[in-house]
Amino acid sequence: MSQDAILVENLEKNFPPTYSGWRTLLLPVARLTLRALAGVSLSVRPGEALALIGANGAGKSTLLRILTTLLVPTRGRAVVAGFDVEREPARVRRQLGFHASSEGGFYGRLSARENLEFFAALNNLGRAEAAHSIARVVELLGLAAVMDRQVRTLSTGTVHRLGLARALLHAPAVLLLDEPTRSLDPLAAAEFRRFLRDDVVRQHGTTLLFASHTLAEVEQLADRVALLDAGRLLAWDTQQGLLAAAGSATLEQALQAFTSRAPTEASR
Amino acid sequence: MNPRRNLRKIALLFRRDLAIARSYRVVFVLELFQAFFGVAAFYYLSRFVQSPELTRALPQGGNYFAFALVGIAFFDYLGVAMDTFDRSIQEARQNGTLETLLVSQTSLPVILSGSAVYPFLLLAMRTVVYLGWGIALFHFPARQANWAGAILVLLMSVLAFAGLGVLSASYLLLFKRGNPAKWLVVGLSGVVGGMMYPVSVLPDSLQRVARLVPLTYSLEGMRAALLGRASLAELWPSVRALFVFAAVLLPVSFVVFSWALRRTKITGTLTHF
Repeated sequence: MSQDAILVENLEKNFPPTYSGWRTLLLPVARLTLRALAGVSLSVRPGEALALIGANGAGKSTLLRILTTLLVPTRGRAVVAGFDVEREPARVRRQLGFHASSEGGFYGRLSARENLEFFAALNNLGRAEAAHSIARVVELLGLAAVMDRQVRTLSTGTVHRLGLARALLHAPAVLLLDEPTRSLDPLAAAEFRRFLRDDVVRQHGTTLLFASHTLAEVEQLADRVALLDAGRLLAWDTQQGLLAAAGSATLEQALQAFTSRAPTEASR
Repeated sequence: MNPRRNLRKIALLFRRDLAIARSYRVVFVLELFQAFFGVAAFYYLSRFVQSPELTRALPQGGNYFAFALVGIAFFDYLGVAMDTFDRSIQEARQNGTLETLLVSQTSLPVILSGSAVYPFLLLAMRTVVYLGWGIALFHFPARQANWAGAILVLLMSVLAFAGLGVLSASYLLLFKRGNPAKWLVVGLSGVVGGMMYPVSVLPDSLQRVARLVPLTYSLEGMRAALLGRASLAELWPSVRALFVFAAVLLPVSFVVFSWALRRTKITGTLTHF
């Protein structure tokens, strides 16, 4: 059993080229020529918060989706709570909570409560346990007033909070979030970051891996930061370590420094 | 694997679909009337085409209306089987729940099975409405029916058709749309399966093709049970054939579906539509 909550070793992920017309029929057997991750290795300790940062297309979401078992890696290995994502996907899923802000992922004509009850049961919570857990996350995320409304009538930010509530329902050991505060207003975002840092990570010891474009969020939440660029891991350290290595005063400057030092795609 | 927990989840998926359907109340009432118009149209069509020659060609004799009504009512089970798995994947892709469902602690066979319960139960209700209109207003010969036998044939048919439906969903998973498997199965079954006319009127070559189609055995068994008062022993050839289709198609379809799902996880096209 690994000591790390998440362990990623030489992880590579390639996708097939985009096809159109009749050539889409070739997609399932197409050669995987587009590189999304190129030999990424990192680890996250139990109870640690690690941020993935980088430009669009850097590979952050791809890495998260491999860890959730929604993508199969091309090469390399990824382990969550001691279980290999390729060989033991069902065991990996038992350890995980996942939410991607880009998707609602709810049944619009059901109420918020019906949705949470539904997903709680799919994650093996019994009725009493689900009711208790729903009450807990609803209070934490301030959702009590909307629980009996159909999800289609809720604002984007509220649906996003509902998604976070769903990811926390079964008290996962590892929480994977793709842009956790996108769509939240500034006050709600700040409150949610406090909740993630103080309650989820520090109090409950949940391991947090999140991808974000908001550097203030990264500064506030992350114990360590992994900087990805075009599928490569450029740096991976504590915030202080990154700033020192880049000779920068801010995370933004460090990000620019590391990215400008990285070899371009053409020169690789 | 916990069978009790999986049954609870299947019931939960059914309740989800029921709750969503209840939010569209008018649709169900419209279905009742749609069924009435369908039954009425076939009743008058059958009166128009009824002849002694036609009666002689029908396996159970009697009137063409009863023959056609059973054919139409139970052909729909094939259509729903071919549609329901496709549709549940397509809807989950569109409303963004597919990833959440697949990251949950529920296996895909349970999700697919649970998602199929509501459409099949709705169809069973529609069948009751069809036959109900036929019995109440159009002289459908219900007194002859072996209802237990009909239910047995129906259950075996649903299992056999479900295998075809999961194969069709595998195609959708891989290629996103334009499903020739569905077109081929539904189209071919419509021509050779004996929905509107007895298989015996087809040329020999097509009669041989009909023996390869589950719908043929389903309709033969259903008509024998409902119109011919066939005993369970007399229904056995149809039930046995449907059982063989189900025993082959269901495991094969789940293997193919698992392979298709893995391919979409490799190509990264799971949520594309």
